[in-house]
Amino acid sequence: MTTATPLSRIVRTDWFGPLLVTIAATVLIGGFSPSFLSPLNIQVLLLAVAINALIAFSQMIIIAIGQMNLSVGAIGGLAAIAFAGMMEVWGLPAPVALVLALLIGIACGVLNGMLIAITGISAFVITLATLSIFKGINLGITRAQPFYGVPEGVKAFGTAVLIGPVPWLAVPTAVVAVALWFMLRRQPIGRFILAVGGNEHAAALSGISVRFTVVVAHAISGLLAALAGVLLVARLQLGQPSIGDDWLILSFAAPVIGGAVLAGGHVSVAATLLGVVIVAIITQALVLFSIDPFLVQVVLGALILLRWTRHRSSRRAASKNHSPASRRCAASRCRCCRAPSMRCSARTAPASRR
Amino acid sequence: MTSHDAPIAAGPQGDSLERDQNTLRSSFFLTNEFGLILLIVLFTVGFGAAASGFLSPFNLFTLGRTAAVNIMIGLSMMVVIVTGGLNLAVGAIGVSAAMFCGYLIEGLGLPWPIALLGGLALGAALGFVNGWTVVRTGLHSFIITLATMSIFFGVMIFLTRAESYRALPPVFASFGKMKILAYFSPLLIVTLIAALALSWLYRRTVLGREMLAAGARPEAAELSGIRVGRVFILCHMLSGVLAGIAALMLVARNGAAIPAMAGQLGQDWLLPAFLGPVLGGTLLQGGKASVLGTCLGAFLVTMLTSGLLLLQLGEFWIQSFLGLLLLLAVLVDKARRTYLARRNLA
Amino acid sequence: MHFASPRDAIAHHVGVVHQERNLIPRFSVAENIHLEQLGAHVLRPVDYAELNRQARRWLETLNLDVDPATPVSQLSVAKMQLVEIAKALSLQSKVLLLDEPTASLTSSETDTLFGILRQLRDSGASLVFVSHKLEEVQEICDRVTVLRDGANACESRPMEGLGRPELVRLMIGRSEGGGTWRKRDTSGNPPVLELRQVATALGHRDIDLTVRRGEIVGLYGLVGAGRTELAKSIMGQFPVTAGTVLIEAKPVRIGSVAEAIHQHRLGYVSEDRKGEGLILPHSVLGNAGVPIWRRLAGLFGSLSDGAVRRAVLPFIQKLEVKTPSLSQTVGNLSGGNQQKISVAKWLAAGVKLLIVDEPSVGIDIKTKAYLHDLLRELADAGTAILVITSDMPEMVALADRIMVMDAYRVRGEVANTGVYADVSQRIMNLIHRAEERREAEPA
Repeated sequence: MTTATPLSRIVRTDWFGPLLVTIAATVLIGGFSPSFLSPLNIQVLLLAVAINALIAFSQMIIIAIGQMNLSVGAIGGLAAIAFAGMMEVWGLPAPVALVLALLIGIACGVLNGMLIAITGISAFVITLATLSIFKGINLGITRAQPFYGVPEGVKAFGTAVLIGPVPWLAVPTAVVAVALWFMLRRQPIGRFILAVGGNEHAAALSGISVRFTVVVAHAISGLLAALAGVLLVARLQLGQPSIGDDWLILSFAAPVIGGAVLAGGHVSVAATLLGVVIVAIITQALVLFSIDPFLVQVVLGALILLRWTRHRSSRRAASKNHSPASRRCAASRCRCCRAPSMRCSARTAPASRR
Repeated sequence: MTSHDAPIAAGPQGDSLERDQNTLRSSFFLTNEFGLILLIVLFTVGFGAAASGFLSPFNLFTLGRTAAVNIMIGLSMMVVIVTGGLNLAVGAIGVSAAMFCGYLIEGLGLPWPIALLGGLALGAALGFVNGWTVVRTGLHSFIITLATMSIFFGVMIFLTRAESYRALPPVFASFGKMKILAYFSPLLIVTLIAALALSWLYRRTVLGREMLAAGARPEAAELSGIRVGRVFILCHMLSGVLAGIAALMLVARNGAAIPAMAGQLGQDWLLPAFLGPVLGGTLLQGGKASVLGTCLGAFLVTMLTSGLLLLQLGEFWIQSFLGLLLLLAVLVDKARRTYLARRNLA
Repeated sequence: MHFASPRDAIAHHVGVVHQERNLIPRFSVAENIHLEQLGAHVLRPVDYAELNRQARRWLETLNLDVDPATPVSQLSVAKMQLVEIAKALSLQSKVLLLDEPTASLTSSETDTLFGILRQLRDSGASLVFVSHKLEEVQEICDRVTVLRDGANACESRPMEGLGRPELVRLMIGRSEGGGTWRKRDTSGNPPVLELRQVATALGHRDIDLTVRRGEIVGLYGLVGAGRTELAKSIMGQFPVTAGTVLIEAKPVRIGSVAEAIHQHRLGYVSEDRKGEGLILPHSVLGNAGVPIWRRLAGLFGSLSDGAVRRAVLPFIQKLEVKTPSLSQTVGNLSGGNQQKISVAKWLAAGVKLLIVDEPSVGIDIKTKAYLHDLLRELADAGTAILVITSDMPEMVALADRIMVMDAYRVRGEVANTGVYADVSQRIMNLIHRAEERREAEPA
C-alpha cells in the first residue's frame, strides 16, 4: 500500500475533478465572454444552482442506499402546487403553508420508502407508480392551471439578494448542503445510509435495521424535493403544475458527475454540488453564446456518459495490481434490477494478494 | 427436499409430456394473463353499460388504434426488460426514427418504403449504441439510457429545428384511417404480426432462448457458452426497431412526423412502456418474456384510459389512476408469487 | 431461545464471524468494528477520535498493525478477516461463533489468532469454531461436534483421546484409506489440456498443468489460491497473457467461453451453482440444453423443444435426476439434483475436458458418492477431468494426481496413493512451504 501524501489524497477525492472542471470552465467561458462573470449573470447562475442542488441532493440520498427515485419531480411538483394552493385557496400564511408542503414531501417519501422496504419490489417500479400517482393528484387539483395567488412576501423572498450577487434562495440550499454533509459524515443515521448502500447484507448482520434506514432516506429525499418545489414557487412567483416535469435527468446527472456510485454506498455532497454548478455553467454558456438551448439536453447526457469513462479508466488502474474480485463486478455485468437495488453483485470485497 | 421428487419415468416420453400439460392447465388460472383477460372482460362490460359511446364502432376503432401503438411501445420495452435492464430511451429512439423517415421522404425525396426501412434502421442503430455502451461499460442500462435519451432527443430536435414533416405521402394517413370491418385499424394487424414474431422468437429460436437465458443469469449463460454481450446488444437493437415501428404507427395516425409526439425527451412513452410489461407479469428481473401479458396489459391500460375519459370522471385524475393500477398490479403479483412459492414448498 | 434478527443476537452477546466478508468496504476499520454500537443514538454525532481509540485496543489485542482510520477496502483479505474478528470481540460477546475464520490466513496469522482465542476462552467466553481443517480443530478445540449430511455424527465429544483417524471416520462415515479410490494408470494417454508457463490477466504466473485423456487431476489450494480463477481463464473468460495453452497438442487461443465450449469442447461446472452454474428460474430442459442449442438449430435459427428433449433426456435419465418433469423449475429441485443437471448439461454437450469446481458443495452424501462414481466412470470412458475441491477427503477419493496451488501459482504435485493421512500431510507441507517462502519475500 502506498502512503498517501496530502496532495495525492486531495487529487483522489471526488470533488477534485469536478472542481478543476468548474474552474477551467469558468476561466474559459469568462475569457470568451466577460459578461459571464457579471454580477447579474452570477446571480442567475446561483439561483439555478440553489434549486437544482436540492433536486440533486434529493436523488443523491437515494443513490446512497443503492436505489433510485423517479418520483423526485412529482413530489416536488405536488409540494409546489400544495404550497401555492394552500396560500391562494385557503389563505394560509406562508410559513404554515411551507411546513405543510414540506410535510407532504416527507409523507410522499415515507410512502415510497415503506412500499419499497416492506414489499421488496424494486425502487424503480414503486417510484414509477408513485410518480404517476403524485403527478396525477397534482393535475387533478390544479386542472393543469397554475396558482397565481402567491403572497408578496414569498415573491420578495424569491427575488431578494443577501449580499452582492448571492440570492436569499441560496441560503436554504447552503444549510441543507451542510446538514447533509454533517449527517453523511458524522451522524450514525447517515453512516447507516451509506452502510446499507455499501453492503446491505453486512449492514443487516451488523444490527442495522435496513428497512428503517431505507424509509429515512426516502423521507429525506421527499423533504428535499418538496423544498426545491417550494423555492421554485418563490422564484417563478407562481405555482406551476409543470414544476418537476424536467427534473429526472438533472437529478441523476449531478450526482453522477460528482462521482456517486449508482450501486450505492458512495456519494459526496461537495462533488454533487459541483456537478450542479458544472451543469449550470454549461447551460448558461450555451445561452450566452446563443447556441441552441435544446443542446443542453445533449450536454447533460454526454456529461453522464463522460463521467463513466473516467470512472472506468480509474478502475482499470486500480485493478492492475490486484484483485480478480474487484474486476468481477465489471466482468459479470450489473445484475442490478434483479435485486431491488442497482448494486453490482460483487460477492467478495476486493481481494488483494501480497 | 421437495416432496414430489420422483425420477422421470425411464419409459415412454409421452408420460412426462402429458404431465407437463396438466400442470400447465391447472396453473393457467393463476397466471397474470388470466387475471388480465378477466379484468378486460369486466371493464368492457362495465364501460359498455355505463358509457353509451364505449362500444360504438368509432370508439372501438380509435381504441384499437391507440392500443396498437401502446402495445408496440410496451413490447419495445419488454425486449430489453428481458435482459434484466431497461430502456428509458424508447421514446427518444422512436421519435428519432420517425423524424428520420420523414426527412428521407421530404428532405431526400426517397420513396416511402425505403424511407420506412431507413427509419427502422436508425432505430436499430440507436439501439445498438445503447446496447454497446451498456455492455462495454458494465453500467446499468438505466443510467446509460437516461443519458442517451437526452442525447438522442436533443440531437434530433437540433437537427430538425423542432419542426414537423407534414408533407408525407397520403399512404401514411390513409393507412392510419383505414378501417377493416368497420371496427379494426390495420395498425392492430401490424402489432399482431410483431407480437407473433416475438412469441416465435422467444419460444422457437436459439436466439430468443439465448436472450432469455442471458437475461435470467448472465454469469451462468456466459459459462454455458452464450455470448451474453452480443445477445444483449441484439436485444437493445430489437427494442430500437420496435420503438421505431411504434413511432411510425403514430405517424400514420397523425399523418405527420411531429417531434413532440412522445412529449419532452420522449418521456410520455415511459409510463405506457412500463405499464404493459409490468402488468403482464414481468417484474423487471429479466429472463422472462410474456408477449401475451404485455399485449393484454397495454390493452387494458388503453381501455381504462378511454373508458374513464368517456365517463368524464375527471381527465386529470387518469394519471393517478394508472399509477395506482401499476402499484396494485405489482402488489398483487408479489402476493401471487409468494402464494405460488409457498404452494411449491408445501 | 430464538433470535428474530441479527440485532437480537447481538443484544444477547452472541458474536459471529461469518465466512464471507461482511464489512462495508469504504468505511474505516474503526467504524466497521463499532458499527453495531452506533445504532444507540442515530443522531448523536460520531466521535471518530474516540472510535479510533477504542478500535486500537481491539486491534492491539489481535496484534493487528493497521491504522484504525484506514478504509477497509485497502486491507488484505487476511487483515479484513482479523477486522471481522475484532468486530465480534468488541461486542464483548459471551458466545463467539467463528465460521472458517482461518480460510484466508497464513499459518503464522493462524497461530496468532489461536493465541487470542485461547485467551478469550480463559477469560470465560464460549467459542464455536467451525472448520474443516482437522489439524486446527485438534489444536484449538476442547470438544468437537461432527456434522455429516446435515446431522450430528457425534455431539460434543471431548477432544482429548479423540484421535485423528477416529475424527476422519466420523467425518466421512468410514475409516480413511478405504473408499472407492483405485489406482488408475493414465500416464500413457495423450494430453487433452496442457498449460505451459501460462500467465493470466488475473495474476497467475508460470502455471504448468497437464490433464490427459481419462485422467482425473485434482487442483487443491486454500481459499484465494486462484483455482477457480485459473479454471475460468482456461475457459476463456479471462485472458491468458503469456505461455501456451494446448488442446489435444494443438496450441490455441481461447477468446471467449463460447469458443471454449463450441470449438474446443470444454465444460465447466461452477462452484457457485445458483449464481453461475444454473439458470434457476428456468426449467430443467432450459438448463440442460443450453450448450447444445446452437448445434440443434434448424432453419432461421429455429429450435424445437422436441429436439432439445431428445438430446438431453438420455443424460437426465442416466443421472437419475429426480424431477416431476422436464419443465420443472430448476430452483425448486434439491441441491443434489441441481448438481446432477449441471453435470448432465456437459455430458449432453459431449465435452472432452470437464472442469468440476467443488463438486459436492451443498449436496447430500448419497448424491456425492454417486457423483464420484460418475466422474470416475466418465474418466474411464476417456473424458479428461480437472477437479477443484477444498474437501480433502473428496480430493483423495477422486484424483489420480493432485496439483497444489497457492497465491496464483502451482506449488507442486502430489501423486495420490489413496491414503488420506499421507496425502493430506504432503499437500499441507507444500502449502506451508509456499507460505513461508511468500512471507520471506519482501511484500
